[in-house]
Amino acid sequence: MTNLIKHIIMILKQDKLKIKLSSFLAYLGLVTVLLTVSCVNTKKKTYENTADIPVNREMVAELTAPPHVPTPVGKRLAKKLIVNMEILEKEGEMTDGVKYVYWTFGGSVPGSFIRTRVGDEVEFTLSNHPDNKLPHNIDLHAVTGPGGGATSSFVAPGHEKTFSFKTLNPGLYVYHCATAPVGMHIANGMYGLILVEPEGGLPPVDKEYYIMQGDFYTKGENGEPGLQAFDMNKAVDEDADYVVFNGSVNALTGDNAITAKVGETVRLFVGNGGPNLTSSFHVIGEIFDNVFVEGGDMINENVQTTSIPAGGAAIVEFRVDVPGTFILVDHAIFRAFNKGALGMLKVEGEDNKTIYSGVVQEGIYNPEGGGVQTMPDDGKAKQTVATTEKTLAEKMESGKQIYMQTCFACHQAEGQGIPNAFPPLAKSDYLNANVDRAIEIVLKGKTGEITVNGEKYNSVMTRQSISNDEIADVLTYVYNSWDNNKTNVTKAMVDRVKSGH
Amino acid sequence: MKYLKFIVVLLVLTVITACKDNASHKVSEEESVYKCPMQCEGNKTYAKLEACPVCKMDLVMVENQRTKSVADDVISDESIFNLTTTWHTEEGSTVQLKDLKGKTLVMVMIYTTCKAACPRLVADMRNIEAKIPKDKLNDLQFVLVSIDPKNDTPARLKAFAKENFMDGEQWTFLQGTESGVREFANVLAVKYKQISPLDFSHSNIISVFNSGGELVHQQEGLGVDNKETVDSILKLVQ
Amino acid sequence: MKAVLRLTICILLFWVHPADCQSKMVKIKGGTYIPLYGRDSLKVTIVDFQMDVYPVTNKEFLEFVKANPKWQRSKVKKLFADKNYLKDWKSDTELGDQQSLKAPITNISWFAAKDYCECQGKRLATIDEWEYVAMSNETIPDARTLKSYNEFILGWYEKPKTFNNEIGSTFKNYWNVYDLHGLVWEWTLDFNSVLVSGESRKDVDNDTNLFCGSAAVGATDLMNYAAFMRYAIRGSLKAKYAMKNLGFRCVRDINE
Repeated sequence: MTNLIKHIIMILKQDKLKIKLSSFLAYLGLVTVLLTVSCVNTKKKTYENTADIPVNREMVAELTAPPHVPTPVGKRLAKKLIVNMEILEKEGEMTDGVKYVYWTFGGSVPGSFIRTRVGDEVEFTLSNHPDNKLPHNIDLHAVTGPGGGATSSFVAPGHEKTFSFKTLNPGLYVYHCATAPVGMHIANGMYGLILVEPEGGLPPVDKEYYIMQGDFYTKGENGEPGLQAFDMNKAVDEDADYVVFNGSVNALTGDNAITAKVGETVRLFVGNGGPNLTSSFHVIGEIFDNVFVEGGDMINENVQTTSIPAGGAAIVEFRVDVPGTFILVDHAIFRAFNKGALGMLKVEGEDNKTIYSGVVQEGIYNPEGGGVQTMPDDGKAKQTVATTEKTLAEKMESGKQIYMQTCFACHQAEGQGIPNAFPPLAKSDYLNANVDRAIEIVLKGKTGEITVNGEKYNSVMTRQSISNDEIADVLTYVYNSWDNNKTNVTKAMVDRVKSGH
Repeated sequence: MKYLKFIVVLLVLTVITACKDNASHKVSEEESVYKCPMQCEGNKTYAKLEACPVCKMDLVMVENQRTKSVADDVISDESIFNLTTTWHTEEGSTVQLKDLKGKTLVMVMIYTTCKAACPRLVADMRNIEAKIPKDKLNDLQFVLVSIDPKNDTPARLKAFAKENFMDGEQWTFLQGTESGVREFANVLAVKYKQISPLDFSHSNIISVFNSGGELVHQQEGLGVDNKETVDSILKLVQ
Repeated sequence: MKAVLRLTICILLFWVHPADCQSKMVKIKGGTYIPLYGRDSLKVTIVDFQMDVYPVTNKEFLEFVKANPKWQRSKVKKLFADKNYLKDWKSDTELGDQQSLKAPITNISWFAAKDYCECQGKRLATIDEWEYVAMSNETIPDARTLKSYNEFILGWYEKPKTFNNEIGSTFKNYWNVYDLHGLVWEWTLDFNSVLVSGESRKDVDNDTNLFCGSAAVGATDLMNYAAFMRYAIRGSLKAKYAMKNLGFRCVRDINE
């Protein structure tokens, strides 16, 4: 680099060119200034008042159906944004066998997602399909102006109206129809979200999704089949039959679930169209790293459940660290399980056992068993019971019974024990090495570390309050099962051990 | 060295001239004029059907040519002169709307017993009239149509005109038939409802028609900024 | 003698039939009632009048435009009709393929409807007259508080494309008038007296009660939102609009 400069200077110094170095530099400077002035975007200054942001050219807005969202605005400048929204009254399926006539923006409930940037001048055309029966309009919460646009967009079927507004505030906003009776229009599904991204756009994430909760009121009860009509009385009483995400019970479940991969950051634009109920939005198994509270600038961190008021919205972000199916719910829990406020996020990828291991062990937890459990002691209690000697078969049978009542809970059906918890009795070197020790353990219990079949165990075995006879039977059973050394433990042996100490 | 200076000067000149705002031409009185759909240079119109010099979009023809001379028997499809009902003026004469042809019309619907909105509407009309240069007033007719033809007889209208200092040539008051008034209101998209024998509820709209009777501009509301209305009138009386 | 007899018979027949044989009319006996947007429970008095039994059909309107070419689609003035006027007709004098002769005429503007009625010596009904007849069900003149009455109307709002059904396909009401509900919306003479304009709370005189936002408060019966719809539709219309779901019928004053 320096060589190049030296080279240039050398050339300049040559008399042949007859250019003065200083003049040349002056001209160079002038040209550079001119070029800089013409090429560089002078619009990079920040504006104190968002109303002053100028717009640069125009673009037709990309409108998407839920749960997808349009491409982020990124670093684009404010533009004149053309939005064409159609209203369609159409029949849809609320859940299996239950049909409902939805009034929609853009053919979906919630309506199409509108993505803008602060400072955009939105030219909004609302068209009412000629087959519709009713007039409609739109109130966008992102609009600063009378009615949020409702006064300027009242439109009869077969007609359209256009109005324009400038997005002054960044945030996530609800839009809905505001034609009388407003509650009915909203209850039939006329709501959606409009995002106004700040300058520079929201920080990029891997996945973004669009979810909106709504409550529905039908003449029939929840689940009653057929075409259901809207019930105004229930709506006034706020007695919802269905509370769902994205317009129907199965909109976000099964094949319609939203997806992500382990390690990705997920951002959910969550709105609540109402008309009446507030949402307690929670994703089972996840914690929201960031919550843009009420869709505004304030960010709360490490949130489990966030409140989204009717006619409001929130942006939640979290990283998915482990695979599985994460259930989205309204944590007013009967709504989730009895009215349909349930969605699914399916995450695929590698397990991370440290974060979540899944099932580590499974077992029967049977705290009592046949005998009364007591902690090990110095063997003060003595029991003397006189019995006659049984046959091996009898002992086995009796022993098995006793085993199943008393020993099974910890040592398991095949004497396999539970790894890291209770030592095995099957093919147990510890057991086979010393019968008397085994008898003593049954009589007195055992604490402390032992090694069985190469594994260390450090647990507590309680003293078993069973008779010597029973001890003999059960130990005979154990020794004669599972590849053990087939000792036939007699009552006498037990007595001896018992009295021996 | 000389060349460099020359280049720099040329660059500077190009930059300056590119940003210069061209003065807008007057609307041509001839057949076809074209405008840029993006209005790159404001309301400038062009004589040739080509591309906009700024944004390069195709020009489109300007609709609703505003021509001063209207042949007597040619009433356009959109003209209110298509309404054939008869009206009585405050002077007692019987007219049809087409008798108002040839002047730019500024029309509003009121009724004389109105206490709330109408006085303000009347004031709004007066404000608009004040902003028109005196020499242009000959081309203008301010028409106030009564919503209450039963009570607003020509005599009553005349008295009202006098009370409100609107007795000049440029002010006309009309009384029609009930059906004629309803029809007229529907053309203007004015809504009204009688709520008691002397009281009406109505929307407040001031409408501007060109000399051919075609609706050119409407201003809705009371005390609304009348700049656009005045602008549209001035354009018509040029 | 024979001639006189014949004459008398002709005259009798002439009196028996209504003056125009084109559409049947019935007499509506007047009364008073409180309409939905009655101010301070303002009662409205209706005098006796005659109303068409059925809405005007495609067939009838077709004959009308044949006889009155100024109302044909290609000739109608833009002041009186917008682009939707008779949009589905194949040509000026031919119905669309999907349309039946006995279905109600739709996609006509208020000006056209008004002229049609006037040509027959009739007129459009006022909102008060229309609502007065429409508030009846099969058996009683005022059924507005009946659940079943409201449910029928609301059920219609959910049903798509009823404009293709034939006249007489809904119920006959107390006055022997058909299809005031369940078929198409209908033009009225003073539809533009409904100052509902979307969400408007603009300064329209002093009567802000008549607006949507306080519609629920101003209306006399909070639950009569079936009627809300009709007022909302009326409020959204302009006289030159033509709509697929909007037709009309005529009424006639009874001269004493």
